[in-house]
Amino acid sequence: MRNRASTSLAKAKIRQSWSKYNLYNMQRFRNPGTVNRTFFQQKWTAKALSRAYHGEQVREGQWKRMFSKRIRSVIPMNTNDLAADDGSKASAGRGSGLEKAEKGITKRLTPYTQMAFAPLERRLDVAIFRSLFASSTRQARQFVIHGAVTVNGHKMRHPSYLLNPGDLFQVDPERVMFATGAPKTKFERRETRQLKQKAEETEAETEEAKEAVEQEDKAENTKDTLKALMAQAKNIMSKDKDVLPAKRKQELRGFQKAVRRVLSRSETSTVLTDNLETQFSELTLLLKAKRAEKAPKESKKDKKGSTEEKAVVEESEGASDALSEAFKSAAQGGEVDTSELSDEEFDVLKRALTQMRDNPIDNSKTYATPWRPRDFMSAFAFIPRYLEVNQNICAAVYLRHPVARPGSAEVPTPFGEAVSTPAYGWYLKRRW
Amino acid sequence: MAPRIQSRRVSNALLPYLTSPSSSPSVLSIPSLSSSSQYLSRQFSATAAPQTKLRRQMFEWLSTSGAVLKHHTPGQTNYLRNFLNDEGGGDRPFPSNPTFTSENILSEELRNEIYVLVVEKKKSVRAVSVQLGVDMKRIAAVVRLVELEKRQRAQGKPIALPYARSVHEMVPTTPLAQDGERQQFHEPINDLPAHPTTGPQIFYPVPESRSFTRVDAGRVFSGAPSLEREVAEKITHPSDLAEKAIENPNSIEWVGKGDNARQVLQPADVRIPHPQLVKLELDRAAHPEERREVGKRHAERMERQEKAEQERRERAAARREKSIKHVEPEGGRFDYRFSDAVFTAETTGKDGRAPWASGRRYGVPTNDRKRGVVKIPTRVEA
Amino acid sequence: MVLRIRLARFGNKHDPFYNIVVAQARSARGAKPLEVIGTFNPIPKQPTNLYNENANARAYKEIALDRSRAKYWLGVGAQPSDPVWKLLSMAGLVEKKPATYEKA
Repeated sequence: MRNRASTSLAKAKIRQSWSKYNLYNMQRFRNPGTVNRTFFQQKWTAKALSRAYHGEQVREGQWKRMFSKRIRSVIPMNTNDLAADDGSKASAGRGSGLEKAEKGITKRLTPYTQMAFAPLERRLDVAIFRSLFASSTRQARQFVIHGAVTVNGHKMRHPSYLLNPGDLFQVDPERVMFATGAPKTKFERRETRQLKQKAEETEAETEEAKEAVEQEDKAENTKDTLKALMAQAKNIMSKDKDVLPAKRKQELRGFQKAVRRVLSRSETSTVLTDNLETQFSELTLLLKAKRAEKAPKESKKDKKGSTEEKAVVEESEGASDALSEAFKSAAQGGEVDTSELSDEEFDVLKRALTQMRDNPIDNSKTYATPWRPRDFMSAFAFIPRYLEVNQNICAAVYLRHPVARPGSAEVPTPFGEAVSTPAYGWYLKRRW
Repeated sequence: MAPRIQSRRVSNALLPYLTSPSSSPSVLSIPSLSSSSQYLSRQFSATAAPQTKLRRQMFEWLSTSGAVLKHHTPGQTNYLRNFLNDEGGGDRPFPSNPTFTSENILSEELRNEIYVLVVEKKKSVRAVSVQLGVDMKRIAAVVRLVELEKRQRAQGKPIALPYARSVHEMVPTTPLAQDGERQQFHEPINDLPAHPTTGPQIFYPVPESRSFTRVDAGRVFSGAPSLEREVAEKITHPSDLAEKAIENPNSIEWVGKGDNARQVLQPADVRIPHPQLVKLELDRAAHPEERREVGKRHAERMERQEKAEQERRERAAARREKSIKHVEPEGGRFDYRFSDAVFTAETTGKDGRAPWASGRRYGVPTNDRKRGVVKIPTRVEA
Repeated sequence: MVLRIRLARFGNKHDPFYNIVVAQARSARGAKPLEVIGTFNPIPKQPTNLYNENANARAYKEIALDRSRAKYWLGVGAQPSDPVWKLLSMAGLVEKKPATYEKA
């Protein structure tokens, strides 16, 4: 199937895509005129417009077979009203109730024709796009074909698989991060290349580097180390938006190094070789231990907070006792340090640490690291009600078919009723 | 395709998710280079840049009024604004479609709360649904997804945490109520699906003296004869039918013959997902003084109905289990499941070629290569 | 003529599916049998219950069998083929055949 989905500016069409071209086209879209145009022409234009968005990857014949003139709708019921009237009031008199309907209550109409393309929302590729797992339906389709999608735990390679209510589909998280994350810059791409080239050499080098770092550490004062750590954490968490990414990266790396230095002080050198996860937990333990020392001092200030903190510490005291001892001995001027660390600072440090653990710099990834959403993603970010999505594992459940209700329709479509009604009308008539 | 021009106006904004959610909305100061500066990147090229008017306009829009859409502010939606009345940007992602709104999703805490209530506190799905205002199907899905997430975390599979966080920042979410607060309801839970038989308008004359209720309307729509007088008089309110229908769904009357057979359309009081709430409201209206008593009766009713439902489920499971014989041969790699089948004239047709018969048929062309026949799986067993 | 209870292969390439049939012994595999009494799917299925996954859950094969007809045909002297004998013995309709190496 040839990809006709490229978004052009000259013949603007709205697509199921997060591209900025698409956003621009969506922004300048106006309803097609009806003056001096036959009804056939109006329907034709409306059909062409809406089909460019709905199921552009589906052949016309295939879609026509899927089309159903029956539209699902629901009416939200109020149990109070149901209890108050058994229906005889509404049908009293001559069939429309004795009392006239109250004024002011305007009945909202159900936009049925907005649901014209509801059968397409059942498709697996469309559902993946709607769950915000891919940046376009075409991309979702590729994920399916390339085997990155499972339905109910089985690999599903058909993008046109029609989901049944209750189906659970899951996309490979790495692909989702790639699809929704900002792309790499050319510097980052170069770094990746270098990373690959140096794959063999690194092992020997890192060991040397480590030794060097350790020697450095001995010379340094612990107090300074902690100060540096704080400063870097603050820098990372700062709201200043003018810092260059390259510089930010340097900072992040520096922070990582500083963390490692602190850990090496606590004489648990095994931690260094372990993965980030354990490093993180170790460091938080250290920090908690420090807090515990600090807590009795300012217990009058914020009794609640510190007692809670204490409780947490006491749980893990067995493990952290030795560590805090080590930390104390390493940081000669322990008192100075603890008094310097205010609540705010502690929070900042904690946040920086969490950030570093969950969203690390990793040049081997296919997206820019640390991960950040791609540009203009937020303008397209919504999740319709008929899907229940768990973003952590990139899985979603197709709860039910989309429905219309008074005042709203669940099928996401960029067109109003001026387009969707003639488009629905086009497919109502059988022309083949 | 025209050669792409490297857009160099990408802002170096700090990652928005790094800032704490309490931070003030970020005003993005994007160095808006004029379109002419794009030529700088091509200054050594001899050919003129193929920058059409449309492209210029687009980049201009992207750097002016479209610039706010580039990054989001945590906790706020960031949608296109309506071109007519410069308001919006609220919960309407599509400016020209007023009928589609971006609806709330469950926040992480609410999701975990649902899991705790259902799995650890063993509350029924129905009760949790009423308590939190979340659809029953959604609750089942949430339990499934959280369970899966726990398993994947335990297995050490990759988790898309930064992605999940930023999606929850962009999309409106329903928070979990703090202690003492009222829980904000997530969605309407008593949606009545429109039944296809209610589509056509029916002219049905009724004497003015007769009270024509929802039960009667349902019978008219499904073409069933009106109720006998004695039976009709016993029904004081349409919700009286609900209890019976819940305890025994097979008790619903059928009309029509053969292929045309259909169940009588039940009143809305029976067909909504939480029919017991109507009874509760009725009880409340009848006894406004004894709130505790009403609550107690409601709890009893709920318990009775849930018990009946549970029993029915167990019976069905037992029946299914009984019809399938499990054999685990020693030393074999596989188990075998024997199900009972009946191969008679009724099940396979007179000539043994009926399309509904189990097993592959003889002398019947397979339709698997015909045009229009679905060749991909239509369902995947969980 | 001998009556046999045997398997008749259906399905596609790499996707076998069998009818358990009663047929004259010398008739062709794909010919119309006297009677179909069951089906056998030799492709093992993995029990995937997403709620409580058993680590040691074994794959299973599905068999549908009309037991009363099978009993009747066995009673009138139909002879099961070896693979069908295996299936019928697991269903408890015939004695289990001793394994060949046990004979020697």
